[in-house]
Amino acid sequence: MQTTIDRAPGDDATAILGLDGELDASNFQGVIDSASGLYAEGARRLVVDLSSLTYMSSSGLVCLHALALLFRGMPPPDPEAGWDAIHSIGLDTDAGERVAEVKLVGPQANVARVLDRTGLGRYFEVHPDRASAIASF
Amino acid sequence: MSSTLTIPGEVGRLAEVRAFVREASRGRVAPKLLEDLVCAVDEAVTNVIVHGYDGASGPIEVEVGGDSQNLEIRISDRAPRFDPTKAPEPDLSLPLERRPLGKMGVHLMREFADELRYAPRRGGGNEVTLVKRLPARGGS
Repeated sequence: MQTTIDRAPGDDATAILGLDGELDASNFQGVIDSASGLYAEGARRLVVDLSSLTYMSSSGLVCLHALALLFRGMPPPDPEAGWDAIHSIGLDTDAGERVAEVKLVGPQANVARVLDRTGLGRYFEVHPDRASAIASF
Repeated sequence: MSSTLTIPGEVGRLAEVRAFVREASRGRVAPKLLEDLVCAVDEAVTNVIVHGYDGASGPIEVEVGGDSQNLEIRISDRAPRFDPTKAPEPDLSLPLERRPLGKMGVHLMREFADELRYAPRRGGGNEVTLVKRLPARGGS
């Protein structure tokens, strides 16, 4: 899998992480490390462009969860700890609240199914393109 | 008719497993269902690598078979006994956000396969079979 890193035009605090290929147990930690580096460099908002991601396993769920916590300034989660950490930051997903610091772009159908069938998808805003994701912050 | 792939239990070989399942199943199942099954197989193999062998590589055999009604994928290993069919389902009375992420692999195996079977492997280890029902072909 390839990752690309861009910045929103004129806004160094908003980073765009593009994922191209297949996200699985072999490479999800590398994505977390990339995002961690962006946060350390001062990025405080993250767009994750999934439009070229052709496959995602449950390792991708761990990864997206970790990115959400990282960009809230929290440590990455223990995979066995459940999603309480997202829950505990006060999101009321039933009322339509979503992770404010991390937005997703264009997941392909099979990636969207993994998000939907596990419930993680409801924590994130999903945008059709990078521009609308950036504009939504 | 069946096809078999044997790999060492390393996460770096997961892409090879997925490519094998896609190729061996091509034309037998609709692309959407195939991708669901590929995900279920990935989760099963990842589980063996990460939890079964627990960092110590061992062999994993993936066999794609079945008949006109079912696509069956058998994953066998020599890891300590683990029956995913007995693994507790994430408590459905709990909100999704309270289900452990580490258990989502088995959850996706169940979600994306129509049937999950387990048998201890003769000589030690495990055999997990994922079954996808094939839609009846119309016409003749």
